[in-house]
Amino acid sequence: MSKAVLCDANKCIGCRACQVACKQWNEMPGETTTNTGSYENPPKTTAYTLTKVHFSEADYDGKFHWVFTKIQCMHCEHPACAAACLVGAFQKTEEGPVLYDDHKCIGCRYCMVACPFGIPAYQWDDPTPWVRKCTFCADRQTGGLKPACVTACPSGALKFSERDALIAEAHQRIAAEPSKYVNHVYGEEEVGGTSWLYLSPVPFDMLGMPVVGSEAVTVNVERAMGAVPPVLVGVAALMSGIYWLVKRRQGSGGAVTPDDKERVGVPK
Amino acid sequence: MTNHWIDIQNADCIMIIGSNAAENHPISFKWVSEAMARGAKLIHVDPRFTRTSSKADIYAPLRSGTDIAFIGGMIKYVLDDIADNPANYNMEYIIQYTNASFIVNQEFVFHDGLFGEVEDGKYTAASRGSWQYADTATPDTDPTLENPNCVFQLLKNHFSRYDIDTVCNITGTPKDVYREICRTYSATGQRGKAGTIMYAMGATQHTYGTQNIRAYGILQLLLGNMGVSGGGINALRGTSNVQGSTDMCLLSHILPGYLVAPVEGDADLEDYLRRARPSTITPQGLAGDTSANWWGNYKKYVVSLLKAWYGNAATQSNDFCFHYLPKRDPSLNYTHIGMIEAMGQGTIKGLWNWGQNPASGGPNSNGARAALANLDWLVAADIWMNETAEFWKRPGVAPADIKTEVFILPAACSYEKEGSITNSGRWAQWRYKAVEAPGEAMPDLEIMNLVMLKLKELYQADSRPLAKPVVELDWDYGSHITADAVAREINGYDSTGQLMASFGSLKDDGTTSSGNWLYCNMYTETDGNKAKKTDPVDTHPQQIGLYSNWAWCWPVNRRIIYNRASVDLDGVPWDSEHPVISYGQGKWQGDIADGGWPPINQAGNGAKYLPFIMKPEGVARLWGYGLAEGPVPEVYEPWESPLDENLMSGTKINPCSFIGTYRNQQGTPEQYPYVGTTYRCTEHWQTGIMTRNLPWLVELMPNMYVEMGEELAADKGIENGDMVTVSTARGEISAVAIVTKRFPPLTVGGKTIYHIGVIWHFGYSGMAKGDSGNILTPHVGDANTTIPEYKTFLCNIRRA
Amino acid sequence: MKINKRSIPVGTLILTTVVLIGLITMILRYINGLGATTNLSDGRAWGLWISFDLYCGVALAAGGFTLAGIVYIFRREKYHAVARPAILTAFLGYTLVILALLVDLGQPWYIWRFLFNWNIHSPMFEVSLCVMTYTIVLALEFSPVVFEALSKSDLPIIKRFKWQIPMRIIRAIQIPLVIAGIVLSTLHQSSLGSMLLMMPETLHTLWYTPILPILFLNSAIAVGPAMVMFESTLSSRVFGHRLSLDIFSGLGKMTAYILSVYLLLKIVDLLARGDLTLIFTAYPENLLWWGEMVIGAILPIVLFSMPSVRQSRTWLFWTATLVVVGLIFNRFNVSMLALGIRPDFTYFPYWMEFAVSAGLVADAMLVIWLANRLLPMGPGNKEGAITEAGSN
Ligand SMILES: Nc1nc2c(c(=O)[nH]1)N[C@H]1C(S)=C(S)[C@@H](COP(=O)(O)OP(=O)(O)OC[C@H]3O[C@@H](n4cnc5c(=O)[nH]c(N)nc54)[C@H](O)[C@@H]3O)O[C@H]1N2
Ligand SMILES: Nc1nc2c(c(=O)[nH]1)N[C@H]1C(S)=C(S)[C@@H](COP(=O)(O)OP(=O)(O)OC[C@H]3O[C@@H](n4cnc5c(=O)[nH]c(N)nc54)[C@H](O)[C@@H]3O)O[C@H]1N2
Ligand code: SF4
Ligand code: SF4
Ligand code: SF4
Ligand code: SF4
Ligand code: SF4
Ligand SMILES: [Mo]
Repeated sequence: MSKAVLCDANKCIGCRACQVACKQWNEMPGETTTNTGSYENPPKTTAYTLTKVHFSEADYDGKFHWVFTKIQCMHCEHPACAAACLVGAFQKTEEGPVLYDDHKCIGCRYCMVACPFGIPAYQWDDPTPWVRKCTFCADRQTGGLKPACVTACPSGALKFSERDALIAEAHQRIAAEPSKYVNHVYGEEEVGGTSWLYLSPVPFDMLGMPVVGSEAVTVNVERAMGAVPPVLVGVAALMSGIYWLVKRRQGSGGAVTPDDKERVGVPK
Repeated sequence: MTNHWIDIQNADCIMIIGSNAAENHPISFKWVSEAMARGAKLIHVDPRFTRTSSKADIYAPLRSGTDIAFIGGMIKYVLDDIADNPANYNMEYIIQYTNASFIVNQEFVFHDGLFGEVEDGKYTAASRGSWQYADTATPDTDPTLENPNCVFQLLKNHFSRYDIDTVCNITGTPKDVYREICRTYSATGQRGKAGTIMYAMGATQHTYGTQNIRAYGILQLLLGNMGVSGGGINALRGTSNVQGSTDMCLLSHILPGYLVAPVEGDADLEDYLRRARPSTITPQGLAGDTSANWWGNYKKYVVSLLKAWYGNAATQSNDFCFHYLPKRDPSLNYTHIGMIEAMGQGTIKGLWNWGQNPASGGPNSNGARAALANLDWLVAADIWMNETAEFWKRPGVAPADIKTEVFILPAACSYEKEGSITNSGRWAQWRYKAVEAPGEAMPDLEIMNLVMLKLKELYQADSRPLAKPVVELDWDYGSHITADAVAREINGYDSTGQLMASFGSLKDDGTTSSGNWLYCNMYTETDGNKAKKTDPVDTHPQQIGLYSNWAWCWPVNRRIIYNRASVDLDGVPWDSEHPVISYGQGKWQGDIADGGWPPINQAGNGAKYLPFIMKPEGVARLWGYGLAEGPVPEVYEPWESPLDENLMSGTKINPCSFIGTYRNQQGTPEQYPYVGTTYRCTEHWQTGIMTRNLPWLVELMPNMYVEMGEELAADKGIENGDMVTVSTARGEISAVAIVTKRFPPLTVGGKTIYHIGVIWHFGYSGMAKGDSGNILTPHVGDANTTIPEYKTFLCNIRRA
Repeated sequence: MKINKRSIPVGTLILTTVVLIGLITMILRYINGLGATTNLSDGRAWGLWISFDLYCGVALAAGGFTLAGIVYIFRREKYHAVARPAILTAFLGYTLVILALLVDLGQPWYIWRFLFNWNIHSPMFEVSLCVMTYTIVLALEFSPVVFEALSKSDLPIIKRFKWQIPMRIIRAIQIPLVIAGIVLSTLHQSSLGSMLLMMPETLHTLWYTPILPILFLNSAIAVGPAMVMFESTLSSRVFGHRLSLDIFSGLGKMTAYILSVYLLLKIVDLLARGDLTLIFTAYPENLLWWGEMVIGAILPIVLFSMPSVRQSRTWLFWTATLVVVGLIFNRFNVSMLALGIRPDFTYFPYWMEFAVSAGLVADAMLVIWLANRLLPMGPGNKEGAITEAGSN
């Protein structure tokens, strides 16, 4: 059974208590920001801001909407970051969180490039930098607590529970008030499913949520990597075969052998 | 709040008007969300589309300052609908539990926006008399509601002018949206349905703020929404303990427990009581025949209070030291604005500024800051160096020019001390100390104690009579005062030194003491300090969310006040799903009933008690004759209005409003064509000194900003994120412009009206700095409370 | 051996300067971190170094395994003359890739961690392991040249060592080494493509295909000979030893065939995915696509198929250059230009990024120059030399 969080944009009041609670629990510093004409700040998630609330003004279905979406790592069921990382610094745990280990990372940043949600962030300002992203408060979860952001959320917009149960509940909420929700649970299928799930009154692309397919982004890679052992054996065999055939056809006469002193290019 | 936070979940419809609950009371949204999950509709009425509006089923914009028109139109809708579909309303409630049927003085006149004659900003005594019932002690009623001089008919007459066209012409609200709101909200008039109104400063901070709330009262009573679960008028109180501090008489017109403050004319205690204690009014012809008039107990509460303050010195023979109480000069205004004006005019020479920041929190900051410089001395007891403490070194002034001597007393913050806070729902909750205060900072209580001990010591040697109130004050906390000792004293003791069980047993003979009769029952011999209770089990039979054993609530742990109105004449709840109380087998069940007497029809030969026990007439007032500017709300324009005239009458502004004279210039629509309004954002707190010093919050909202619609910005060549200058007749500020779809223009009286929204969380102290929105606001106030008109003024804007 | 004596000091001086600037920049990067020395960001975590130094670097070094294969497995004696320079270039190429990674990695001092924490499902892991092993293989493949040079040294200490012994060992395992090289190259050249398979949502549809690894391998095989042509022509300009036209036209023909397969794969793949129309509609990405295809595949196929081109050193050189440029274009497309950047980010390399890359390329050029001065690099083929002279 794996844990998940359901973020209901119809309940989120954009108060950003989650954003601050996350900083507090993770002991992250406040970033220096400026107001550039919106309520949103910091402008993006960073290595020091693991979650932020995105504000979208949208006209949809004949109504003006102001929708708030909390952005953080989605804790994918088939995480690209984990598949990408050469040292296995990212691991999807059975309980749900996708976790990162400072003690393995070498800083190649493939995880950052691979993540379909643009989540892992880097400590660019630090000469000894690490990757940072939402941990799903795995440390709190092991202690029997909810994630800090969920605990702080005043409106019930964030609900922490078993993933299956939350998906069922999400569909119930849609069915109960079909006029209030688009009929889609973001994260149920996206990139093979994620542990953070979203409900919204407007289509998700209007919220700036990446439009991604339902196939895990890792499938093609897995297929390709599965081909490695046969390719290895195959190419080795093929090359040996060719070498043997060519050598036999050429006979000893016109043959070139590497140990032919004359032929390896010793300057005269 | 007549109800409490959790009870919001039981509403069928929630109208948030004059509040931005989602942003300023985020926790309230836990219960709003819960209600919505149970099918409730949410309506939000605000000039600006806010985070609250974003959650609403119906959002209606209105021009700032036009709530009376808005609610007045709803009242008219309901009155008309009652005539058409009485079955959709709880007529028994309206007739038996309100003064709808009461016959009013024949002299009553209403003409062109006035309820009689005004002299020097006050209605004449004769006019005020004409607002009363025809018979003031035993008023006649007409339960058929047909008598043309009964309250119901007078209301119909008054609000007949508030038709949708007129209303929407004043408010600028689209008519279809307005109609939908009328329809949706009036559906809570059904028996068993409840609608609640959540309001705060958007409603009160007007020269007619009190009348805005009166209008809610009328609407809620017509819909039978008072006293029931999921109903009520719920003031979302501001600071965490502002309810507690008003209970304890933070305001200048009251003593603890809402006893009125003595004035110079009060010759002695009896004289004072004659003025302050309401006489019982017994209506004739209603099912109920007895008014409990709880305030009849006034003397018990005053005497017990004086005993708490003066102890053994207070005796029957010396009027229980009544004369030691300071008396107000009735011709003076003692509120915030009045005080700053007096400082500006040089009559107040010293200021003890205790946990407040008038240099940017009060209106007209430029004036307030100048007034501070008129002081000889200023004491600032605060947890931060705020704009007031640092006013003498603010940008643009030379400290050498300011002669005020400033003393700083560092205070411990809320986490560094113990005590109770009382939330909006009247729940007193005990808070424990989490950490030690840094450095020399001390809990305010300790500071107060040390100061008082010193004062006593100084006055001891003084033989003049003025020393006596201090010398004889019963102040026996020793050198280390505890919140516990104060809490006990507030609850009160009997003559044996035992804690009083409840205010029901307070006496007027000097044998009991109580620092605040409303809190008498919080700390008892049997249960100890009930503010410390944290039992999360809801013991209400139907689990309506009272949680009566969590904390303690005044009065006597009654969670929903006026709850006798939640049952019919037989004591059967109107709403069987969420009954507050119900009567059976000779007793009440559920919440603590508003008075233990049986319901009217169960009283047999005994007295049939009317439900609203705090009212002298025993019923709720649709007709509220006690206010300064008339018995029913009437539309006026704000002091600074974008219109040339009141679209409803020839009386433009509230004739009784308070208008300051100190550095208070008034702007005209020609120079200042836009409607300015000030408000809060989630991320900052008040003058911002408590949040602008916290990096995590500064990160969220780093700069002073103003909001405006795209149309106005386009007109002015302002782009989102530009620096702009906003000006009023009183000053100007610079800020970042947030240009948004959320602030579209409105059409009012044929004119296009633009709003400019300003926060007031910035200042020159602290980590993140900026201009205060209050540089813009005027020194004018509400007719009854003098709350400043922060919410509506005229301004102009340009690119910086 | 004709060496243009005057050109060397000027050239090397410039190269040395570039190398020094690169070195200083690298030091600054270690002191101040990546943020201060690059324009990389959370939105664009991989920049010039990955696109150019890694993606182009590895592909352009493909000459090593293609030529080794042609010469030692397919035993095409004719190409023997270019085998050594190709292997050296490959070796240098991989060394530079590793150096560049040491600059690009956030925590290069922890690079060893990948040897102890295997994620065998990560194409990046496979690339790393292959690059490391293959560099060793290349070093071994190239080592006889060094041993030869050493055995001829006049220095007594060096002379005393019996260089024939290691030389003989290497020669004994030469064929297995070459096969290992080919296997490793096949794996990691394609895996560089697999790495991008992780980005179905961010890599533009024109490029994202499950057969990316095959396309990567194919294009690397094609660019191998082209790179050899390109680079030998240049070094022959500098060092004077010219190779037979026959080798070049043969390589050109080969390249044309390989590129035709590549072109075919590209088109059929788009067709099969139903996205062929994108090459007309997906503006502006389609311009990038056309750019790399015209420059790197279509033009070279046409040109290399023309006998007149195959008879002209100049045309052959320029056509090979097209292939090289086309490949670079392709690798930049897939790893940067057509790879979605996170919203509200932009990227253009900071000058220090250019400085480091330029420094590394200059490094390689200096080493090649030194190798040509000090090692027996010239064509070991008498006929070749004669033909060269003849055609002069
Ligand atoms: N985050 C945060 N929360 C707070 C505070 C804080 O400073 N920061 N302060 C606390 C305190 S002390 C208080 S009193 C409360 C105040 O709580 P609120 O009353 O909710 O606070 P405001 O933001 O001042 O005003 C509410 C709304 O009134 C609207 N408004 C303006 N003019 C009018 C009008 O004429 N009619 C109507 N209907 N609406 C109008 C404004 O657009 C604004 O959205 O908040 C408390 N909570
Ligand atoms: N323009 C505009 N102006 C407004 C309003 C508006 O809506 N618009 N709203 C008005 C309202 S509703 C309010 S309530 C006022 C609030 O106005 P103020 O009360 O003046 O504002 P605060 O910033 O809350 O100031 C509280 C001070 O108390 C200090 N403090 C905090 N805790 C403690 C403590 O434990 N002990 C002591 N001694 N000090 C402490 C803080 O540091 C701060 O300096 O502002 C009013 N001003
Ligand atoms: S959202 Fe990105 S970082 Fe998070 S688990 Fe998925 S792939 Fe990994
Ligand atoms: S940066 Fe670290 S965690 Fe990310 S892929 Fe590279 S080694 Fe793994
Ligand atoms: S789960 Fe924890 S780490 Fe993730 S956003 Fe919430 S508080 Fe931050
Ligand atoms: S705490 Fe909850 S309501 Fe507030 S912004 Fe975060 S998710 Fe939304
Ligand atoms: S700030 Fe404090 S008082 Fe206000 S809603 Fe949040 S928790 Fe409640
Ligand atoms: Mo307030």
